[in-house]
Amino acid sequence: MSEVTPLSMRDARAAEDNRLLESGEIDLLLAGWTETIVGRCVAKMRGPVGHDVAQAVCERLWRELKAGRHRDGRWPFSVIVHKVIGFTCAGWYEQGWGESEWLDLDDPVAADFTDEIALQSELEGFVATLPPADGEVAGLWLFEGLEPDQIAERLVKQPNAVYQALSRVRLRLREWLET
Amino acid sequence: MISTEQLLDELVDRWTRGEPLEVDELLRRAGPHADELARLIDTFLERAPRREPTAESVAFVRSLDEPSLLRARQEQRLKLDDLTEALVERLGLKESARTKVRRYYQDLELGRLEPKRVAQRVWDALGDVLGRDARELVMVRAPAPAAPAMYRASNHLLSMTATGLPDADLADRGEPDEVDRLFGVGGVG
Repeated sequence: MSEVTPLSMRDARAAEDNRLLESGEIDLLLAGWTETIVGRCVAKMRGPVGHDVAQAVCERLWRELKAGRHRDGRWPFSVIVHKVIGFTCAGWYEQGWGESEWLDLDDPVAADFTDEIALQSELEGFVATLPPADGEVAGLWLFEGLEPDQIAERLVKQPNAVYQALSRVRLRLREWLET
Repeated sequence: MISTEQLLDELVDRWTRGEPLEVDELLRRAGPHADELARLIDTFLERAPRREPTAESVAFVRSLDEPSLLRARQEQRLKLDDLTEALVERLGLKESARTKVRRYYQDLELGRLEPKRVAQRVWDALGDVLGRDARELVMVRAPAPAAPAMYRASNHLLSMTATGLPDADLADRGEPDEVDRLFGVGGVG
């Protein structure tokens, strides 16, 4: 039986983010997000300029972390990261961008946006929507990085059954991403 | 042609294995379906948990305190002399200009030279060498907390050359040459 529960990965990452913030290991915290930041910026900007945008996002977050921002844990760090990605990409080509004031994420009047982000579906939520047997396979594939043969061994299933389950999971994942 | 679904599967597989995502490469391979793939990738990464930091990502974050242009040069694994040589060649300058180009470029890299006064030809050449828009790198870099004071100081320094000599001193030494003009030093540019 898998030890992965639907929300365990997200909760574990969020707890780790908080721990890194509290212990001042902000370089490790931001380093864990860089691949996500670069990937999303390149995707949103549709090309290499995304690397420049990602750099601006990382620099902004780094400055804020060094200044001691976000340590109160008021918003999950993931929410802050995705919000900064969103408005940096959206404003990249606007004239004067970078000279104007940054949106203050810690400002109570600017905080409403986080409800929307915090409540949106996350990958763990997707796994929870699957039938239990497929959910087990999906959890081990997505969150533990296991290959099909390893999943079969872990779950004591035939490899062919795992391949079939993964095929169904991939299809459902694409549908879920399109919603 | 490879389908959007296959490319998304590749992305998810890379993510689960902790491999570099290489989103640019996937978008390139998607051809006319790049927009569709980009939306799916963006949504996936927005909803997925972050990954464990790697040695490379930690090194990148720790380098964020260094100037952007310097980081771009380091990413290309170019020594200052290598970059100088490439600049001299692309700008069509004489070999004797190398020392001054090196000094001015380093000043630019370290934020000691006003980027707005640097000629477009220099930015174009730097873009060729660094593989990205060098002007953008310098311009978008938002000021660090202590930067306003530094900029005020540099405003004062703008009346001086990058060599630390006031313009007047430079004038005493003769007319600005082509390298001065290219880098906007000495009241030119």
